[in-house]
Amino acid sequence: MNTIIHDIEYFSVAGRYVMAGLLILSFSAGFLGLINLFRQRPLLERPSGFLLIAANMVFAAGFIIICWFHYQIYTSLPLELSGNISGWINQQLSAINSRSAYALPLYDVGAPPRYFIPVWIENEKYYFWFMCYSVMALMGHYRLPNHRLRAVLHILLFVQVLFLFFGADPFSKPLPRFFGEISPWFQGGVSSMNRMGLFMRLYPKMIFYYNAHYMWFHPPLLFLAYACITITFVTSGFMLFRRELGIEKMGYDFAKFGYFMLTLGMLLGYPWALQAWGPNWWWDPKICSSIMMWALYSTYLHTRLYANKRGMWYFSSVLGILCFAAMIFTFVSSFYFPGEHTFQ
Amino acid sequence: MNIKTTSKTSYDFYLILATTIVLFAISVVCIYGMFYFKYAKVHEMAPIVKAAYMNRMNIFVAPFFVVLILLLGICVPKRLLPARWLNFFALFLVVAAGVISFMYSVKIALLVCLVVSLALQTVVLFMACAGSQTLSFEKKGYWIRVGSSLVHLGLILFILDLFLHRHHVLHLVLFWITTGSTVLGMFFCFYSEAVARLIGGRKEI
Repeated sequence: MNTIIHDIEYFSVAGRYVMAGLLILSFSAGFLGLINLFRQRPLLERPSGFLLIAANMVFAAGFIIICWFHYQIYTSLPLELSGNISGWINQQLSAINSRSAYALPLYDVGAPPRYFIPVWIENEKYYFWFMCYSVMALMGHYRLPNHRLRAVLHILLFVQVLFLFFGADPFSKPLPRFFGEISPWFQGGVSSMNRMGLFMRLYPKMIFYYNAHYMWFHPPLLFLAYACITITFVTSGFMLFRRELGIEKMGYDFAKFGYFMLTLGMLLGYPWALQAWGPNWWWDPKICSSIMMWALYSTYLHTRLYANKRGMWYFSSVLGILCFAAMIFTFVSSFYFPGEHTFQ
Repeated sequence: MNIKTTSKTSYDFYLILATTIVLFAISVVCIYGMFYFKYAKVHEMAPIVKAAYMNRMNIFVAPFFVVLILLLGICVPKRLLPARWLNFFALFLVVAAGVISFMYSVKIALLVCLVVSLALQTVVLFMACAGSQTLSFEKKGYWIRVGSSLVHLGLILFILDLFLHRHHVLHLVLFWITTGSTVLGMFFCFYSEAVARLIGGRKEI
């Protein structure tokens, strides 16, 4: 546990520089964006592109630091039990497994279970989500030489970094929920009885949540989709004011990729939900909102095929904006509505 | 896939419009479910009350799923049949579903619709893979057609799979087939030109 305390300190210090760098770079890009938004001719276009590249590089550096930190958790925090307790634990696990469709692996004294935590839990999910957006904003920036579109992409990046800095910094207090859960295990003076009880509480969550291989696919695919929906939202907003095919095409390309990721992500969540929660999770609020978002997104892609019909150009633009609203609603619903997916 | 330049209102357009309306209605039911779940505190209730809530929500959404399955039943043969025959087929499907519902149950009627759709869609997929030009698709291009056929096959299988949720192993096997078909179909559809370039041989129009 002492090793990880030192690692947390290094992580927080390195993270402070990452977050400061991100704030400075995105503020500069956003400020230039705000000026460009109201100008007829572009101002300092090349430097704003460089700022975006630099922001992406800082995002990548921060992500590498997060990966390093998770590796330290893997190596430093095994759930170790003494030989006599492990025998009793394995009896309990065998009894549970005989009544359950999905078995928990038995405890192996030679290889105690370790946390193999994905790099997008707790506040890190915002970091990953906004990093995906940053990459896509960069792609959008170099794809279309429209200074106002670029300006909006830059301003949105700044808004996201601002939220990350003040509301969801993954470096200042790393993984508070995870460490809150496991800290009793690593504190000294816990009786054998309490240790067994703790193990039976921590182990199933480790297997079905932290170490679940679905965690490596289901959330990141959704965050990639969210980033794509944000770009489609920007292009849809522009489509309301100007009938420019280049912008529409760019929005559609991001929408296609986003829909692909969203559908795959949602589908991969299905067998995991069956494994972790059993069959009684249909009509959970988050599932409802996700289906609603997917239905809206499907509608958008269908109507877009007929965008040249009278009124359909604007209708599909409004739907693109609605998809974004549905995405925000779906995400925020995890905080407001109770259920299996809740962040409350 | 490019924007359609035709101004002629097609059968496809109305089917897509109808699908859009049904999807919107399902979205509204979902939003109702979310608020009901929160304010009735379903999560704090006994499992039997939770099960009752899920059953009630299933009943609310069922009519829209029925319409969706019927639309799917009409959507699939449009690739094979000319418009006039398609009208007859649609009418026949609705009447047959009504009669089977009356004689047996709505569930069996829907299962019949799905099985018919599945059989037809499999034929469409084979024909699309063989490069048949007799199929009526709004889109040109080999990989778009194969992709679209796979996506629709995945959708039919997914709904069919929901009927089989009590058969644990079969349910999961079918689910993975559904996922494979949908994902591969989307990839072919959305990135048809890249796929054509990668695989070569067939030029995407």
